[in-house]
Amino acid sequence: MKNKDAFIRLSDVSYRFGERAVINQLSLSLDKGVSYALIGQSGIGKSTLLQLLAGFISPDSGSIYINDKKLIKPRVKTGFLFQELGLFPWQTAFDSIKMPLQMHTSVQKESLKSSVFKWLKELQIEDCHERYPHELSGGQKQRVALARTLITEPDFLLMDEPTTAIDAMTKESIQALILAQHKKQQTTMLFVTHDIEEAVYLGEVILIMREGGKITRIPNPLFGIENNRETLAFYQACIDVRKHINLEMELDEVFTHNK
Amino acid sequence: MKYLRTISNNQLFIGFLTTLLAWQVIYFLIDTHTIPAPMETLIYLYTMKLPVLLHVLASMSRVLVAVGIALIIGVPIGIFAGINHLFNQFFSPFLYYIYPIPKVAFLPVLMLLYGLGNQSKVILIIFIIVFQIILSVRDGVRQIPSSYFTVMDSFASSTLSKYRYLIIPAISPHIFSGLRISIGISLATLFFAENYATTYGIGYYILSAWTKMDYIEMFSGIVALSFLGILMFKAIDLLEAKTTPWNKKPF
Repeated sequence: MKNKDAFIRLSDVSYRFGERAVINQLSLSLDKGVSYALIGQSGIGKSTLLQLLAGFISPDSGSIYINDKKLIKPRVKTGFLFQELGLFPWQTAFDSIKMPLQMHTSVQKESLKSSVFKWLKELQIEDCHERYPHELSGGQKQRVALARTLITEPDFLLMDEPTTAIDAMTKESIQALILAQHKKQQTTMLFVTHDIEEAVYLGEVILIMREGGKITRIPNPLFGIENNRETLAFYQACIDVRKHINLEMELDEVFTHNK
Repeated sequence: MKYLRTISNNQLFIGFLTTLLAWQVIYFLIDTHTIPAPMETLIYLYTMKLPVLLHVLASMSRVLVAVGIALIIGVPIGIFAGINHLFNQFFSPFLYYIYPIPKVAFLPVLMLLYGLGNQSKVILIIFIIVFQIILSVRDGVRQIPSSYFTVMDSFASSTLSKYRYLIIPAISPHIFSGLRISIGISLATLFFAENYATTYGIGYYILSAWTKMDYIEMFSGIVALSFLGILMFKAIDLLEAKTTPWNKKPF
């Protein structure tokens, strides 16, 4: 059974870019082991929220707690998968995946190697371990970046548009991998996406972000059901989420107009 | 055909042949005793190979010591200037003032401070190349995308890890570029550095032949100097290929 205690708590968090409050007194709690899809218009502050949760930036006011500890700097146990992946050109797939583990543990060379190969195998990129990023396909790069993020076994995984830059076929296989890893490790997951199908496929709870960082939650009963993408209910759920988004946007417009 | 293909793939050999050809053409066109025939010079160099080798080794040692010390001084300063905006704001204008000054002009001062021996020669070379290394490294650090630093932050990396996994590998190609330029400048500087208080060094060998008006000897020294340059550039190429294999370049 899933532990539904709030694992992450945001209490009255505000963050401004100059005069504009991108996030305004946001209070939010995220439960342990749940996957959250964060959707909303471009420039609404989704990536800013992710950066706050990762500890890259600090809120102007309010506090963030992860596992009851106040977040003041990036945590080792928070994984971040970047939209642009951020693979270093000088690291082979093997070195890239090894790096986070090598940084934080004093494990023997052999055990380090076996850990890396475990992940290479898990993500089906064993043959690529000696290749540099420029020698990898888009999907392989994505898998390397994912393995690099997961090797430290994070308890909280943040992803910024994890499948934006890849083709449709690769996208589905990466999404299946992410879902399989989430189910296996029970990681709390929050990912930003513009793809409603991705949100419905990967998100147990869909969070719609509005102006000022207001968030509406939509539970997704289809989450985790095998082959759900092949059902009509899945597409009906996508249509429902789209309707919700449109409604929220209309609310934003009314609110802005009345101001 | 196989040999022709091997030769055409060897750019160093092509470069050598082209230089000899150009030299031969100039030799025919100008027809003066100050320009000896290439073959005659090469034969002279071959017969004098041992004494010339000693001169080359003396120069090479000076250049290697100077380059090594310039790297030890220049790399940390360059990294700091690249990372620390405040330091760079003060340091860069100073660098731009110093960089274009012909440092050879300071030779009398260096001779007074460090004597006539090897010390002043090596310090002169360091003084000339260290700024090049600082600039290359500083620019290398500044070219690292800020997103790479965010990636390191996402792993809650220590400062030491940032240097180990990000900064040092990212600036390595820039260090090699700086080294190539520095070695070229160092070899050119040998003429000034080795024209006093020494009897060994390829700069001394060329200048001494010049004063004796022995042009075959002078040109043999120039050829030896170019061989030394090629040797050092190739060594850097090999070192670069070994340490930065992701950054493959032709030749």
